[in-house]
Order: sequence, then C-alpha cells, then structure tokens
Amino acid sequence: MSQVAVEAPPKGGFSFDLCRRNGMLSKKGVPPPSYRKTGTTIVGLIFQDGVILGADTRATEGPIVCDKNCEKIHYMAPNIYCCGAGTAADTEAVTDMVSSQLQLHRYHTGRESRVVTALTLLKSHLFKYQGHVQAALVLGGVDVNGPHLHTIYPHGSTDTLPFATMGSGSLAAMSVFESKYREGLTKEEGIKLVCEAICSGIFNDLGSGSNVDVCVITKGQKEYLRNHQSPNPRTYVSSKGFSFPKKTEVLLTRITPLKEMVEVIEGGDTMEE
Amino acid sequence: MGDSQYSFSLTTFSPSGKLVQIEHALTAVGSGQTSLGIKAANGVVIATEKKLPSILVDETSVQKIQLLTPNIGVVYSGMGPDFRVLVRKSRKQAEQYHRLYKEPIPVTQLVREIAAVMQEFTQSGGVRPFGVSLLVAGFDDKGPQLYQVDPSGSYFSWKASAMGKNVSNAKTFLEKRYTDDMELDDAVHTSILTLKEGFEGQISSKNIEIGIIGTDKKFRVLTPAEIDDYLAEVE
Amino acid sequence: MPQIFEYNGSALIAMVGKNCFAIASDRRLGVQLQTIATDFQRIYKVHDRLFLGLSGLATDAQTLYQRLVFRHKLYQLREERDMKPETFASLVSAILYEKRFGPYFCQPVIAGLGDEDKPFICTMDSIGAKELAKDFVVAGTASESLYGACESMFRPDMEPEDLFETVSQALLSSVDRDCLSGWGGHVYVVTPTEVKERILKGRMD
Repeated sequence: MSQVAVEAPPKGGFSFDLCRRNGMLSKKGVPPPSYRKTGTTIVGLIFQDGVILGADTRATEGPIVCDKNCEKIHYMAPNIYCCGAGTAADTEAVTDMVSSQLQLHRYHTGRESRVVTALTLLKSHLFKYQGHVQAALVLGGVDVNGPHLHTIYPHGSTDTLPFATMGSGSLAAMSVFESKYREGLTKEEGIKLVCEAICSGIFNDLGSGSNVDVCVITKGQKEYLRNHQSPNPRTYVSSKGFSFPKKTEVLLTRITPLKEMVEVIEGGDTMEE
Repeated sequence: MGDSQYSFSLTTFSPSGKLVQIEHALTAVGSGQTSLGIKAANGVVIATEKKLPSILVDETSVQKIQLLTPNIGVVYSGMGPDFRVLVRKSRKQAEQYHRLYKEPIPVTQLVREIAAVMQEFTQSGGVRPFGVSLLVAGFDDKGPQLYQVDPSGSYFSWKASAMGKNVSNAKTFLEKRYTDDMELDDAVHTSILTLKEGFEGQISSKNIEIGIIGTDKKFRVLTPAEIDDYLAEVE
Repeated sequence: MPQIFEYNGSALIAMVGKNCFAIASDRRLGVQLQTIATDFQRIYKVHDRLFLGLSGLATDAQTLYQRLVFRHKLYQLREERDMKPETFASLVSAILYEKRFGPYFCQPVIAGLGDEDKPFICTMDSIGAKELAKDFVVAGTASESLYGACESMFRPDMEPEDLFETVSQALLSSVDRDCLSGWGGHVYVVTPTEVKERILKGRMD
C-alpha cells in the first residue's frame, strides 16, 4: 500500500480530490450546485472621528431566503472590521484567515494592526485565486494613520474611498451616499446616513433584506450595533399557535436514557521522563 | 570524556541509556536565569529574573514573558533565541486550532503541541534539542494551570515550580511557602520573595518580570510600576 | 440530469424547544424517481447529545460522515471530552470549505445540547457557510416546503412532546409536496435526560 488514507488535521489550503469527479458530472450535464450567497448591501463611510460600516442581514440561496438575520460585518482586528458580500463561505473563510494572520502579526510586532496590512493580505489572497474565491469586501478601520476605508473586489483589485458600497444593493446604497455624503459628518449623522443607505438596499434590492447592522470604529474604540434597526418585523405570527388535533402515527419508539456525566479524578499521574 | 564519543550524533544513545545532547540541553537550562511559576486558587503567576549582560542594554526592549494566546503566557530559562522559535511555533499552532474549532485552545493541548515540537528536535537529523525549559501559565475551562516543558519534550503540571540557576533553592523555598488556598496576590508576593532568595544585587522592577492570569482569563505582563507596588508590599 | 442534490432526495429538519431539540428526516433513498430503500438513515449520532443529519448525495453523505466520526473520535481521545456542538459545527464547516473547489454534494444539519443544556442547531451549504438559527433549520429537496411549514408552525420554548408533534407535522406535510422524499420519518427528540427516537408512518407513494 503506497497511500494509506490516514488524515491528519488539515494544515490549511484547499483539497482538489473531488474535482475530477465533479468535473465529470458537470460534463455529463449535471449542473454544479449553487452556494449560499449574501446578495447583500454593504456600505462604509468615513466620518469626522473614524469609520462606520453597515450591512443588511439577509442570506440567500437562489431565490430562497435561507437566513433572515445573518452577520455580515466580520471581525478582523480590534480596530478593523470588514463587511462581506458574495459567496458566504468565501467571505467568512477569507476574513477569518486574515484576522488570524493579523493576530499573529500583532503578537510579533506588539503593535496595533494597520488597515493596509489587512488590505494587502486580503487582496493578495483574492488575486491568487483569480476571482474564484468570490468575496467582495468593504474594509474599514482606524489605525495610527487615522481612519481608512477600502473596497476589495473578488479578483483582488482595491479602491480607497471616503464612502463605499458593495453587493447587489450597492447601486441603491450609493445613490443615497452620492446625494447626501459630505466631509466631516458627526457620529450621529454618519450612523443615520449608513442606515439610510442600507435601508435603500433592503427595500429596493431583492438580494438584501431584514435588519441593519452597524459598526462604528473610532480611535481606540469600537461599537458593534447588531440589529441597529429592524425595519421588517414579523407581522403574521398567530397568537394562538398551532395545535394538532390528530396526532402523527408513530410506528416505533426507542428511548435511550442519558447517563449523568461522571467526573473521574485520578491522583497524581506523571509522565515518565 | 566518556560521553563524548556518543556526541557525534544527537540521536545515538550512550551505553548507559542517555541521550547526552539532551543532558547538555538541560545543563544549558540549569545555567540560565531563574524563572518560577505558582498556581494560585484563582490564577497563575510566572516570574523571572531579567539580568542583562551590560547596563548599556535598553531593558525596555527585552521581554522574557510572552503571550501565546490571550489566556496563555509563557516564560523560559535557557537560551533566548530558542525560546523565540518555540513561541512563534506555539502561537501558530494555537491560531490554527482556533481557526479549526473557533474555540480557544485548551492549555493542555497547547502544552502537548509545544512538547511534541521539542521532542521532535531530540529525534530528527541535522538539528539539536532546544536549550530551554518553559513554564506555561494559562486559565481555561479547567481552571488555572501551570505546566513545565523540558528540552526532552516531557511535560508536567505543577502547583509551583522553578527552573534555571537557582532551581533547588527556589524549589525548597516554594515547598515551604506554598499552600493550596493561596490567592493570586499572595502568589505574586511569594514569587517575588522566591526570586529575591537567590538574587545577586538589588531586586527592582527593572530586573525582574512578572506575568499573571486571573479569573478574567486574560494573561498580562505586569508593568514596572505594578511590580514596584508589589515590591513595596513585600518589603 | 437535474441538480445533483436531487439525485437521492432528502428532507431534514432540526428545531429548538425548551432545553431540548428535535432533529428529523425522511426515510426514502431513491435514485432519481425510483425508490431504492424506505428505511434509510440520514441522521447520525455523533455523541449522546449531538446529532448530525446529512442531506444531498448519499454517497458523499456517507463518506463525509465517516470522516467526521474519525475526526470526532480523534478529538475525544486527544482532549478527553466530547465536542461542543458549536465546535463540531466549526469542524464540519472547515472540512467542507477545504473542498471549496470540488465540494461534497452534501448539506449538513447539526443539532446538539451544549453547556447548561442549551440547544444548538445549525446548517450549512455544501462548502461550509454556517447558518446559525435560533428557531429551526431545514435542508434537502423538500427544504422549500419545510421552510414554509416551520415558519408557520414553530413556537418558541416548546416542551419535548409539543416539539415532537410540531416537527413531525412539519416534516410529513412537507414531504407530501416533494416527490423525492417521504416514506415516513425518523424523529429524534433530545432532552438533557433522554433521547427519544421515533419512526413515523407516512404516505407510501
């Protein structure tokens, strides 16, 4: 036996084991599956003391809404956050990976992470995968050089902007920013403008919906306002609830009692030197 | 030298069943600066001497106690450069664990990983063992924990331990002073007193380092000002 | 041939109650429109308080299950404890994302009791994008009708027996509108003290 398939925990990186089979299937006319996307409106803007990021909370799979309240503002570093649009698994994985690299970098340098560091790590990963890692990001944070806001496209190109939008609702949100953004907004004005932009995405873009998440980052501080606004509450809940007069027919019941967890404490066992 | 004929390769046992390079590594640890750790009821403290080769060295640039994760800290006796390598590897390991399970790595797991690296360097070709012993202090779901890892790759959990130049004196001192219900503050005091025992010259916030972790599960290295306060309390 | 997810057909659902959860599946294994088995196991026990359901292509589901069990046993041996549901979900997600460009055609549903008997449910797509819900999660070919049924039938803080009835009704009514899944159901209701496994009678067409 030359290859024994004993797998150790992965060291990272992708595995292409199933690509041949899956490629064969799609050649025979089986379409590849669709993945969970965040259709998404994500935005960010720079205000007088820092950066505000905003996102809607809808996740879709084709025309189905599969999560009504997901989180699209990802943690990168204590002073940096990142909104993600595109394939949900990709945005999650890429932001997780980079936030991990930033953490290690902080341990080594003993300093606060810079937004450009995150930007460079993200774009070089995305460029390496030539757009196959489908993540469109709005990256914002405050570091030693002040507030920064960037957009990153799936192919790895980036922009540096005072206000930015991404995702399927980006046009709706940008129309709000273009007409109302100005330099030197206060925090309250900034949050209001971000909410308005996200709401315009929520109500005018079908890929975006549900609630508004906001994240305000200022020098040495951050405020993550999860579900800052909930403009779409459920209105159709039956107060009586459901009852089922005719019970379901059960063919077989098996009950397994669960053992109480027993803690075994052993006396000093040491390793042989 | 009888042993030296078996020193041509690290991975060859001497007839008495010893790997002499590991013994030498332990000697390197034994001649290193004293470090110690105490596990209290509500936390752990690790402390070390920080003697610099010359007064011209900027003491603020030297950090002997390092963070591995937010809730695990480590200190060493022996060779500084080897320590850095281990710290880098351990942090990476901890970060990998975190990315896989989205959960902070338990202290035991991290210690085992570090020990595995150190063991690997006693059995591989073209390398030498690490010239350091580590004291790993952490606080996780299983409470406060203190481990010592040696160049051979063996590791033990301790209530209190010491290593480096003054091991035997320090350990005797700790044995006398240690109680199971010790609070973190008492442990810091005891650790200072223990360091003081074999200290050459005047102890000050500039020539020792102390790291603590309490129930908040945040490991931190005390600032010189905080150490001064503790020193004043001990006086 | 249509979508690969529809090759074998499946329906999966997990729902949260008061200090308990239920996870249920249909029992049909088909090859497109032909039924192969009517007692197929789609829900697996990971440990006493943690269950995993795998919808999608059955061959991939079984392979994936073996890999997950392997990784869980390795974890148990190494860390001398069971995995928390959240931790297991992250592991599944990592394993699926590893095959980002050549995925398993599987959509998992994970349900378990965590610390202090707090129920946890979660589903993800075939490349590991987690969806953590507080109420219910669904997967499989019948997922669209399951969404509808659960959305109207779910109530917060149900007792185990109520939860069982709700899950069963949601499952049976949904698979009746899906020709690829059905032939009864398999329901697990897990409370801190016991696991109640029941097999439901359903339509046989």
